[in-house]
Amino acid sequence: MLSRLSFRHIPSQLKAIAACGIQTSAVKSSSEPRPKRPVEAPRVRFGFIPDEWFQLFHPKTGVTGPYVFLTTFGTYLVSKEWYVLEDEYYTGLCLLSIFLFATYKVGPKLGAYLDKEIDAVENNLNSSREEEIADCKAIIQNLEKEKWSSEAQLMIYDIKKQNVLMQLEANYRENLAIAYTEVKKLLDYHSQIDGINRRISQKHMVQWITNSVLKAITPEQEKTNLLQCIKDLETLSAKA
Amino acid sequence: MEQLCNKFAELIKFDSWGCYPKGYDRATHGPYDPSRYYGKPDTPFSQVKIRDLPDWFARREKGFKPFASLISRAHWRWQMRYMHPKRGTAAPLWQLIFAGMTVGYIANYARLRGHRHYKYH
Repeated sequence: MLSRLSFRHIPSQLKAIAACGIQTSAVKSSSEPRPKRPVEAPRVRFGFIPDEWFQLFHPKTGVTGPYVFLTTFGTYLVSKEWYVLEDEYYTGLCLLSIFLFATYKVGPKLGAYLDKEIDAVENNLNSSREEEIADCKAIIQNLEKEKWSSEAQLMIYDIKKQNVLMQLEANYRENLAIAYTEVKKLLDYHSQIDGINRRISQKHMVQWITNSVLKAITPEQEKTNLLQCIKDLETLSAKA
Repeated sequence: MEQLCNKFAELIKFDSWGCYPKGYDRATHGPYDPSRYYGKPDTPFSQVKIRDLPDWFARREKGFKPFASLISRAHWRWQMRYMHPKRGTAAPLWQLIFAGMTVGYIANYARLRGHRHYKYH
């Protein structure tokens, strides 16, 4: 009883969902653009100083300003010995020259190799995703095809229906024919029986009549009859 | 003992560890960006006039946590700009080297200044 009641309420519940939408606890996505991984690194000068630091100087000093600042500030540091040129400085120079040499010699090759590796990693990561997408698309296509082929089922139903109707019709006609032949057989039988009856009774009647006629003939009558016959024969022979 | 522990946890604000910063709201800001400041925006430091500098500094949050998050944001900003691009360059490595050199020089300055060549400049 109760379950039937709850069934009765289903349409109203469905309507409620349709009216207010499916509620989830997930946070709505904001309109803020999603952060994206940059492809190119920002521009730098001297291989490491951000370009923006140079741009900061441009409105006040022009394009050469930052270079002038770097040189003058460097000479100031060195001349006032804020930056002391002791042995660590020369070690640094040697190291720097080695690093620069390596950068110019090996750098481009290493860069190309690393780019290739990065591409390989990215392709590897992307390929599984793309495979998944392709699989899903194939499934969708398959389902569409199934849908399309299931439309043929309607036709097949129709054909089957026609077939059944035809079979019924054939059956009906066969039954009709059977009934006809059966009835005809019965009638034939009855007519034959009738015919035989009539023939037998006729035969019997004829026999009975001749028998009784023959019985009724007396010897006198026979005699007179014979005489009459002879007389007739005589007249006939006379005529001939 | 338990009370002491609770006091200590309160002192170091243990509840807020590992949480998103206060101003962050997923519904309005989208996915969390560790390089972004989610508080009330003020004039950027690079655009502050020198005479407004004390006021600007007075408005800043001070303390260990804000400083740590400042460093964290700066680090993320640098990392996202120089380390994360697909076609990265050697620039971040050079930057690390030069930053290390500067820090090392400043740290060792007390010792290095003994190696000066000239008495008068």
